[in-house]
Amino acid sequence: MAITERRGFRILKPAGNAAGQKRFVVAGLTPIMLYMIFFAILPMVWAVALGFFDYSPIRAGSGFLGLGGVNPFVGLDNYRAMFDDSQPARVFRMAVRNTAIFAALVLPINLLITLPLAAVVESVHDRFKRFFRAIYFMPTISSSVAVAVMWGYIFNPSQGLLNTLIKAVGLTPPKAWLTNPSAVYFGVPLAMIAVIIAYLWQDFGYNLVIFIAALQGIPSEIKDAAQVDGANAWQTFWKITVPLLKPTLLFVCVLTMLSSLQVFVIFDVMTNGGPRNQTTPLVMSIYENAFRYQNMGWAAAISMVLFIMILIITIIQFRFLRTDWEY
Amino acid sequence: MTTLPRTASQPKKKFRLGRLFSQSGAYGILLVGLLVTLVPFIWMLLTSLKSSQEIIQIPPTFIPEKWTFESYRTIFSDPRVPLARFYLNSFFVAGSRVAITLFTSSLAGFIFAKYKFWGAKASFSFILMQLMIPFQVVMIPAYLILVKLHLVDSLWGLIIPSMVDAFGIFFMRQFIESLPNELIDAARIDGASEFGIYWRIILPQLGAAMATLGIFTFMGTWNDYLWPLVVITSHEKRTLPLLLTWYNSVHGTRYDLTMAASILVLLPIMVVYLMFQRWIVRGISMTGIK
Repeated sequence: MAITERRGFRILKPAGNAAGQKRFVVAGLTPIMLYMIFFAILPMVWAVALGFFDYSPIRAGSGFLGLGGVNPFVGLDNYRAMFDDSQPARVFRMAVRNTAIFAALVLPINLLITLPLAAVVESVHDRFKRFFRAIYFMPTISSSVAVAVMWGYIFNPSQGLLNTLIKAVGLTPPKAWLTNPSAVYFGVPLAMIAVIIAYLWQDFGYNLVIFIAALQGIPSEIKDAAQVDGANAWQTFWKITVPLLKPTLLFVCVLTMLSSLQVFVIFDVMTNGGPRNQTTPLVMSIYENAFRYQNMGWAAAISMVLFIMILIITIIQFRFLRTDWEY
Repeated sequence: MTTLPRTASQPKKKFRLGRLFSQSGAYGILLVGLLVTLVPFIWMLLTSLKSSQEIIQIPPTFIPEKWTFESYRTIFSDPRVPLARFYLNSFFVAGSRVAITLFTSSLAGFIFAKYKFWGAKASFSFILMQLMIPFQVVMIPAYLILVKLHLVDSLWGLIIPSMVDAFGIFFMRQFIESLPNELIDAARIDGASEFGIYWRIILPQLGAAMATLGIFTFMGTWNDYLWPLVVITSHEKRTLPLLLTWYNSVHGTRYDLTMAASILVLLPIMVVYLMFQRWIVRGISMTGIK
């Protein structure tokens, strides 16, 4: 069919008909692209627009998408209101601060645990390596709600495991981990510290697995060569392993940052934002304003702040996530 | 790492970071990590096996004085907790999303990997752009769309907005690109239609990629909380994580019950994990999928 005779050779033309291929591409891709426009682009544009309106779904607006009329256009008012002295603005600023504190603490502590631990896991026998890796990853695949319910119990002041252990070694535990607004250490509320502990416990397995894979990818000849040149193990780790891990390290930093900016479940279940909004993260503030107070214009404006924070991190990732060398 | 005896020809083999701690030190650290990881799970399990009198003791016991399935019986016999219903809800949503995502991702991934057409690059970048839009940012309009579609408080409302996964398409394209073109050309010569090539030639080659993407979609959906919280309002339509928070709010200090309920929510995902552990670890190592 697609074979032509020419100068005695049998030449294979690209088989099939071009029209059929084109039909397939159009028929397969059009619904997917339309779907994406409807469920990804439209919501994004809509979210940006909502931020400029005083919109509540309980008022039936007159204009397009219910924007306008009783849901009036207010320009930058929602954004200006973020700097007000009103209660919602104060809660919003606390949410930004809480999210920043959370992300800023989670990232370094996570790296300090996972990178050395990955090196240790890497250093033991293969069979044990797989065993430990499998166990360490269990919290990560667990449902965040179950993890949060469990840690809520562990932090229970009288019946919880943690205070019982602290008492058992003869120390005085805090009277309340999750509910005391005046317990603040170095500017970080105790309830926040408790949630961070629970979050680190759940999340460390993910970065650990990535680091182990990256360490396995470093050829041992490079490290051996360094040692032949007289480097000790510590120097080898800092001067050889860590620089070679740079792309992975950056990737892990960005991912950890992004997921801690989007944190919600563990706060919602363990503290519900309390005490006194000391543990309200940005996403909770979006959720509460949009769906509890039905104040969606204001909530959309807050979501834009979150979006810009995430965008900055993503751009940094694209900027720096290039390597100039291979091994 | 190595079990070979150290000989003169490989004197430096063991001289690695492991040496810094020495092997026994390394195992010591790993065991501490093991305890920290497992004790909360064990505590949860043991608590669920205590009696309602025992859990209010101060100080609490670690190992149950009297082992009992009382808490599980209480949950199973609670008429407000038709467990089978909630499991079915979760399985229905997760199963549908896995099936649909695998189909759309592999189809679009195939097209982007193996066809040259006008606008291919632009449409692919368009899809990659979606990766930068976090769900929490578009959550409000997504909800308003569901209102217009009359899908609020419906399990379909959890499925329909996430039938196409930008990451899934990207992931599948990478995988399908590595399949030989000869496979496709041969099928065309045999007169296969383009969809036939996708369905009978490409799909059967995608086992590993499908397994990885499928498992992660399943786990993500199973553990999803925020979107169901927004969409679902009636009790009998709750998925398991929603059931658990509700149950927790009703039985706040009955830790025997809440821990048993947590175990019941965790159980299926733990089974999936133990069955597919290798795939999951490999998937993360290769792609950073989350």
